[in-house]
Amino acid sequence: MLTKKEVEKIAELARLGLAEKEKEKFAEDLSSVIGYIQKLSEVNVEKVEPMTGGTDLESITRQDDETKSIFDSQTRKQILNAAPDREDDYFKVPSILE
Amino acid sequence: MNLNKLTIKEAHKLLEGREITSVELVKAHFDEIKKRDKDIHAFLFLNEEEALEAAKKVDERISKGEPIEMLAGIPAAIKDIILIGGTKVTAASKILENYIAPYDATVIKKLKEEEAIFIGKTNMDEFAMGSSTENSAFGPTRNPVDLERVPGGSSGGSAAAVKAGFCVYALGSDTGGSIRQPAGFCGVVGFKPTYGAVSRHGLIAMASSLDQIGPIARNVDDAAAVFEAIRGKDELDSTSVNMDWQDHWNSPLDIEEIKIGVPREYFIHGLNPEIEKNIKSVISKLEKEGAKIEEISLPYSEWALATYYIIMPAEVSANLARFDGIKYGYSRMETPFPLGNGVSKLIDVYLKTRGEGFGAEVRRRIMLGTYILSAGYYDAYYTRAQKVRQLIKQDFDRAFKEVDVIITPTSPTTAFKFGEKTQDPLSMYLADIYTVSVNLAGVPGISIPVANEQGLPVGLQLIGKNFDDVRLLRIAKIIETIIK
Repeated sequence: MLTKKEVEKIAELARLGLAEKEKEKFAEDLSSVIGYIQKLSEVNVEKVEPMTGGTDLESITRQDDETKSIFDSQTRKQILNAAPDREDDYFKVPSILE
Repeated sequence: MNLNKLTIKEAHKLLEGREITSVELVKAHFDEIKKRDKDIHAFLFLNEEEALEAAKKVDERISKGEPIEMLAGIPAAIKDIILIGGTKVTAASKILENYIAPYDATVIKKLKEEEAIFIGKTNMDEFAMGSSTENSAFGPTRNPVDLERVPGGSSGGSAAAVKAGFCVYALGSDTGGSIRQPAGFCGVVGFKPTYGAVSRHGLIAMASSLDQIGPIARNVDDAAAVFEAIRGKDELDSTSVNMDWQDHWNSPLDIEEIKIGVPREYFIHGLNPEIEKNIKSVISKLEKEGAKIEEISLPYSEWALATYYIIMPAEVSANLARFDGIKYGYSRMETPFPLGNGVSKLIDVYLKTRGEGFGAEVRRRIMLGTYILSAGYYDAYYTRAQKVRQLIKQDFDRAFKEVDVIITPTSPTTAFKFGEKTQDPLSMYLADIYTVSVNLAGVPGISIPVANEQGLPVGLQLIGKNFDDVRLLRIAKIIETIIK
């Protein structure tokens, strides 16, 4: 069973705000799922290669071409306009240096 | 003539023969939506003006005697996790409530080339996380077959819209069963193509190694027509695959040539005995018609759901890190920035934005993924799950050396009632026990309605070999014909 403190730690790592009264319910829910996934310890995985994606494809690369843009200027503008705050073509965030 | 029950092929013929216009067809669907969607809530929002305008264009082409594409002028509903440029896309989440998609998903681009008509965006579980649409931030969808019951999920709005006659077909997305399970619950056809067959560009990502877009339709023919329109390699999705789709959709395929596998692990405890009876009766019908039925074993099935609940949340926690209140969507960033300790202010933006913007199930899965990927647990959970995933895939590889397709139930139960599983997440997760292996292995799967049990639809799942989607669809069509 996860403790309230562990739930707080996970939420902090995940950058999720939790209300005080939710913490116990999350501890209970997460513990029950974590209990269930322990089931995998029954499987012998010795010498098995991990399957790391949905296909057998390996690292698809392409030529880097800075002249090629997948979006036109209109789309670019729309993307930037969706930000809560920006300056020119930059997203604006609170300063992190004093 | 009831315009709300037409298949794609029927609608296409009527349009081509000028017996109906696309505008009439589209209007008939909006009329039905206005009459009944306040009870069902399949749609989050409608695109009436644009849809009628697009329909007019198709009508003009027809009146000039131009040939039209199979999907031209036919109304489609799109799950609200797929981007249509210039239109809202919410993923049924508060965090994207007012977000306008800046571009078209590749599947939308392809459907636009066919002059398909988009009538609206359908409801779903938030970020496609759920099996009932009860996790939508904007209220659940009701099953048109029985309004007291869930339509399944996460593509519940799309399945309900097709069943209710609100559209001719719909697009959904499927990460662990999200197309097939709601199709099964609502009594329509739902098809998840092979991973890589359809581009995911413009699909809001849930778990990138599992997600795939596919059609929900009235019959297998229609699902095949939509699949044909949306599949293909796409430069903007590096996991999409270049395939020479040898269709031969119309060449004869004899039932006596088909070998069907029945996995013994899928017919054990937990399966509703009435569903088992229905599926078994379809199997014996097929055997009578000459199909070869073989019992097979997929020994690692027992660990599929546990594997899924490691791989999926791990990918979820990484994918959903992008919703931070800085670039788009719901934000608790205050402007101008208050003075004071900058770092804690920035962390505050993240915590508040994500804490208020995401619903409980989304936060649960992000935390689960964060825990699984955290130092000390990564190898024990994540790497181990990737290895078991390999074993699950090998199960299928082995089985497909013996048989052409595998038959299973789509779900262990029929559509359940609201609130039945919302208190205990694990019981909700078990609704996907027969569908998740398909996504883990990357193979294609389709659910077709085969029976009614006390008035509720029963779905049968057929699983095929990688990139053998067309043959899978053809075998599904044979089964569909036999059980009619």
